[in-house]
Amino acid sequence: MRHYEIVFLVHPDQSEQVPGMVERYSSLIKDGGGNIHRVEDWGRRQLAYPINKIHKAHYVLMNIECSKEVLEEINTAFRFNDAVIRNMVMGRKGPETEDSPIMKLERESRERKVRDDVPVDLSDSDDDDDDDDNDDDDEIDDEAEAEASADER
Amino acid sequence: MSRFYRRRKFCRFTAEGVTEIDYKDIEVLKQYVSETGKIVPSRITGTKARYQRQLAKAIKRARYLALIPYTDAHQ
Repeated sequence: MRHYEIVFLVHPDQSEQVPGMVERYSSLIKDGGGNIHRVEDWGRRQLAYPINKIHKAHYVLMNIECSKEVLEEINTAFRFNDAVIRNMVMGRKGPETEDSPIMKLERESRERKVRDDVPVDLSDSDDDDDDDDNDDDDEIDDEAEAEASADER
Repeated sequence: MSRFYRRRKFCRFTAEGVTEIDYKDIEVLKQYVSETGKIVPSRITGTKARYQRQLAKAIKRARYLALIPYTDAHQ
């Protein structure tokens, strides 16, 4: 039994399959007498560069302990699953159970989103979320403001 | 010798006593990648050789998983 860290990217259109896939691999590992130490769903993330003309992908991280045969099985499952656009398996020295840096960021942004959803302020929340301001958004804002001022008159 | 005062370089990972550089820690990796996406040499950053090797590996893994770009000329 060895420790492995697996990351795989799922096609964004097949995002709904992710829980099922994790479930399937988990049972595969457990049946092989292995262990699952950490499963993280990073959700749909923007890719740093397009892969097969896809700009977003659903990331999943798994830290597992399993035998060579089971790992081989998982690898072939990745290979023949069209929904998996990329995967990486790394050997690890031991089990890892803490949140990864990406998961921490993801959690924070989710919490922030929840907090932002409660008070309804349109202009500020937009600026917090993404630094690269789109020109389109500004135009929309301007129009909205123009309408608002028109209403006042 | 040199007329300009240069801030002393130091290895951040040695100072912090990092055991392993994580390829998932994008914020850290980004500090050691140039704007064009190249890995910044240790002679510039002052990273110790041991950590520079780990850093290179971590950056390459992150690139493969599209967490950080290979270059600024993508698309």
